[in-house]
Amino acid sequence: MVGLTGFGGGMAIVALVERVCVREKQWITAEEFLHGLAFGQILGPFSLNVCTFTGHHLRGIRGGILAATGFIMPSFLLVSLLSWLYFTFHKLPQLQAALKGTNPVVIALIVVVAMDMGRKQIRGANGAVMALAAFGATVFLKLNAAWVLLAAAGWSLAATIYRRESC
Amino acid sequence: MAAMLTLAWVYLRIGMMFVGGGYVLIPLLNHLMVERYHWLTLRQFLDGVAISQLTPGPLAILATFTGVRVGGFMGGLVATVFIFLPCVTLMLVIGRNYHRLKNIDTIKKTLDGLLPAVVGLVAAAAWNLGAASLAGAKEFIVLGAGFALFKWTKISPMIVILGAGLVGLLIN
Repeated sequence: MVGLTGFGGGMAIVALVERVCVREKQWITAEEFLHGLAFGQILGPFSLNVCTFTGHHLRGIRGGILAATGFIMPSFLLVSLLSWLYFTFHKLPQLQAALKGTNPVVIALIVVVAMDMGRKQIRGANGAVMALAAFGATVFLKLNAAWVLLAAAGWSLAATIYRRESC
Repeated sequence: MAAMLTLAWVYLRIGMMFVGGGYVLIPLLNHLMVERYHWLTLRQFLDGVAISQLTPGPLAILATFTGVRVGGFMGGLVATVFIFLPCVTLMLVIGRNYHRLKNIDTIKKTLDGLLPAVVGLVAAAAWNLGAASLAGAKEFIVLGAGFALFKWTKISPMIVILGAGLVGLLIN
């Protein structure tokens, strides 16, 4: 149904889906698309979720599943192939050398992502404390990331309920 | 078969914790794949992140990579299906009840409040991975260059990673 091949990560794909589904094919209105985007941030990668949402809107459950599958399929096949090549040939010195070059860049990418997310998501002292606490808990106390995440979710839920009651 | 079930179960759990965009997967997968189950070495994990950035899909496609490592093509398929199962299911449920669900404020606010922790976790992942894998001035120079490119230009990560591979080939 939607054979998507937009290279370049999350936001780029959202923009692409918007152009195709909202403007060109008029499958979904801009407002509905924005709602889909908002829901899409709850769980999982929102690029995938937006596709699922649009697919569901058009053809029901089956449409949603098809859209999600269609979206993941090209990447899945490509990564399967690359992974297979990687695990078959990773002893080759040339590949080792090339990967030595990509390693620091991957870390740089993660650092940049953390900084950009930090600028967007951390508002006020509370957020900063939480980010630092999560960082410290993982780096120094070696806590499991999943537990840190759960604790943060509990804290955030409590804070939201408390704020709602008080105003 | 038992390995497949473990794989499915592990990825289903990861899929349910997958908030705030794909990058939270880096700390989660690093912990599970490298430290807990020893399915990958740290180097392989980083190489997997590089490979996952070469495709149009979300970072979660990293699941495919680890799946292939554990159980070949079928392993990759199992890992991919199960990591995406929770969020696709959720989106379908939301799509169904779309008109009733417009006031999901509590959920939305809770998730927004949780995002700083995700930032902390991602930063911690960068720290841990860096501490374990960086050695020598050359690597720090490459890291600096990569940082500058990602931060101040809009070149796609795919190009930067391919370029880094080339640089690695030349300097080593």
